[in-house]
Amino acid sequence: MSRPIELRLNGRPATIPDVPDDERLLDTLRWRLDLKGTKEGCRTGGCGACTVLVDGRSILACLALTREVEGTAVTTIEGSASDPDLARVRAAFEKVGALQCGYCTPGFVMTLGGLLKEIGRSAPIDQFLRGLDGNLCRCTGYASIVRAVAEMREPGP
Amino acid sequence: MRPSVRPDAAVKLAGKAAYGMDLDAPGMLWGALVTAPVARGRLRSLDLEPAHDLPGVVAIGPDDLPSLLPPSRGEPDRAIFPTEEIAYCRQPLAAVAAPTWAGARRAAAAVRVVVDAEPALVDLESLFPEWPGPDARRSPNVLAYVHAKHGDVEGAFRTADRVVEETYRTAGVHQVALEPHACLASVEDGVWRVRTSTQSPFGVREDVASLLGIPESSLVVEGTWVGGGFGGKGASLVEPYALLLARASGRPVRLALSYREEFELGRTTLPAVIRFSTAVKEGRLAARRVRLLLDGGSSLPGRDFATGYAINFLLGPYRTPAFEVEGYGIRTNKPPFGPHRAPFAPQCAFALESHLDEVARAIEVDPWAFRAAHVWRDGDETPLGQRVGPFGLRAALDAAGELARRWRAEIGPGEGVGIALGFWSTNTGAGGEVRLELAPTELRVVQGEREIGSGSVLAGLAAVAARATGLPPERISIDYGDTSRAPFDSGVYGSRTVGALGRAIVEATASVRRTLAERLRATEPVHLGVDGGEIVAITGTVRRPIRELLRPEERESGLVATGQHYARTGSIDESRVVEGAFYPFTDFTGSAHVAQVAVDRDTGSVTVTRYAAFQDVGVVIDRETARAQVEGAIAMGLGTALTEEAIWSEEGRLENPGLLDYRIPTLGEVPVPEVTLIEGYPGAGPFGAKGLGEPPIIPVPATIAVAVREATGAHVTELPLSAERIVRALKLL
Ligand code: FES
Ligand code: FES
Repeated sequence: MSRPIELRLNGRPATIPDVPDDERLLDTLRWRLDLKGTKEGCRTGGCGACTVLVDGRSILACLALTREVEGTAVTTIEGSASDPDLARVRAAFEKVGALQCGYCTPGFVMTLGGLLKEIGRSAPIDQFLRGLDGNLCRCTGYASIVRAVAEMREPGP
Repeated sequence: MRPSVRPDAAVKLAGKAAYGMDLDAPGMLWGALVTAPVARGRLRSLDLEPAHDLPGVVAIGPDDLPSLLPPSRGEPDRAIFPTEEIAYCRQPLAAVAAPTWAGARRAAAAVRVVVDAEPALVDLESLFPEWPGPDARRSPNVLAYVHAKHGDVEGAFRTADRVVEETYRTAGVHQVALEPHACLASVEDGVWRVRTSTQSPFGVREDVASLLGIPESSLVVEGTWVGGGFGGKGASLVEPYALLLARASGRPVRLALSYREEFELGRTTLPAVIRFSTAVKEGRLAARRVRLLLDGGSSLPGRDFATGYAINFLLGPYRTPAFEVEGYGIRTNKPPFGPHRAPFAPQCAFALESHLDEVARAIEVDPWAFRAAHVWRDGDETPLGQRVGPFGLRAALDAAGELARRWRAEIGPGEGVGIALGFWSTNTGAGGEVRLELAPTELRVVQGEREIGSGSVLAGLAAVAARATGLPPERISIDYGDTSRAPFDSGVYGSRTVGALGRAIVEATASVRRTLAERLRATEPVHLGVDGGEIVAITGTVRRPIRELLRPEERESGLVATGQHYARTGSIDESRVVEGAFYPFTDFTGSAHVAQVAVDRDTGSVTVTRYAAFQDVGVVIDRETARAQVEGAIAMGLGTALTEEAIWSEEGRLENPGLLDYRIPTLGEVPVPEVTLIEGYPGAGPFGAKGLGEPPIIPVPATIAVAVREATGAHVTELPLSAERIVRALKLL
């Protein structure tokens, strides 16, 4: 079975025709909408590379069915420049150079963007770092990512 | 200054970098592999018809090859598809392509494969239950044999004060690049074309051309952004299948491995058994015997090279008056052995460093002092008789020792601090070339590699070009071309990129200066600079814009100069080689690491609380990139040390082919390390730089093992140091 799905995508209303009921959000984004900034790694929820925001909260696009996000606002890395939280994460990653191959990077940006929305800019750094345990990075050893998180936070009380 | 420490940060952060996984094309078909259901057996029949019958499906098997592949070409275990013997579980037997991904998976499942399963050879030690005897070399399962000897080994053992014998076992580990192998292939007008996520476009061209029996000139390989390589994307894997499917279908074909396949049929470091026998006299190493059984999988690429090179790291950077080494590469029913960041060296260092600790303890000498007394100094001889060149290991060891003393004074119960060493050599490989194009406002460095993430191409080569030419970094662009346009390079592996291509840049820069000197009729050296937005040539008091020095035919290309670098290595004393091949080093790179761990004695779980690395780099080319390499290697090494282990069933099936069962370190498990780069001991690269991609992973498992022993007394002789193994070792105390 397939049917059209309506949602907000990167700030704009969108109708996606003919989405099969069992299609994963990851595949809809990458192959139907050509939004390949969302990365495909393990497809089993183990790496975090496919993280996107749904109504401001981070989810794994490889584990979500597209029909489950009908009517929501979906944000991907392609829409990150116009979201102040995501833009803030990107600026910190860019300044620090918190990436190597970059394959994990969109996932980290989306997870951290979701955390900024959830816990605020001056939450303790450990809360941000704990929130990254589902995002794997094989290249950086996480050190530069930790520096980027420190850069991205607002010094709290 | 460039805006970020990473020149590729902006494009990657915008989600605009297209990796191999992201490629598509109009009319594209999706490829999938049909793979062996057992690790060993005879292929009775392979029926592609049920797949062909599905709408839009193309299927190819062994029968579709002979026109391309003369049987004389290549080894049977390098065949695209086996026709009789299955060599490992998930070996590709056929390939299909369909208009959708789901369709391709359905088609692959529809292919009927009938095999007569045979008992697989999985456990490396089952073949020679004792140890390979004198006749073992003739066994078809021995893929490689190397043997070297020097000095009066027997005499030293006879007169030793003490002999320490130990056996170590190490596990297979995967690269776990986050991006699976993926490519997009097409065949049009006799031109075979593949865009692929690779560490070596020219390597893939050579490899695939020989596998398919086509001339290299008819195959064009274009690299994409690479989502991590770590050695796993050096040789071809998916490319030949995608190309054959494209040829059979007349359409572009995308072929990507699933992450499960990535684990199951990717090529990587396999298990090994290492035996040491060490004779000590008056507190010093007198003689050493080292024996190695290395699992080569179904074929061991490089054969003697892989085995002989590994042996160097079992002898390690230590003075040894007499030694004998023997190494076997053993065929098993696993995928072929493949490179994994400093192939097999971290495992060797783990065994050797743990063993030296044991030896030092046996004779009641401080392990640090024992290492310091034996570590190579400049001018020493390696076991195989090569002179040791500038080597920063002693300096690294001293600094590590001082830090470890400080940390030891601060730790509590259940905690321990360990030190271990590693060494490596910049492998400048089969060489490489660059083309410089000096235009009025920029210098283009044209070369054949894509940035795989290490930063060696975009940050490293740009920094070398800036230093060589004197131009500011923003005037330099690193350009990439496919294999039909770029100058040859052998690949981003072996910590060679900055070393080899950097030397080529330096050579090409000298040629640019010579040409400019001729055109300026200069009597003094020519330098480059920037005046009001234009690049100028400067000699004495003369400053001339490059624009004015270009010939009409150089308007587009700029002033072109090429440079090349092919490895120049030292030599070994061949009289020490009894059999097989041993190789000299290009240079000598040392690392000393310090780890502080806390161990829970009940559960065996290890927390790495602090970590520091002292890395001999020759000279720093780009500080942030260098530091990032060390940081990343440490985390990867912690996985090898603590959790990563490929587990095969008795039937040869990989039992943990996924990230939930094969655990790599997460952010919370890796401390931010202290990294110190040691300069002053020049290596083979430009300005004396040493390769840095691999060296910093080498001492990590050893350092953790030594620290765990310091913390608990547990002497674990197997990798990884899983909680279970630690608990078992604690029970033996
Ligand atoms: S691709 Fe979704 S978690 Fe790995
Ligand atoms: S930068 Fe390569 S996986 Fe994170």
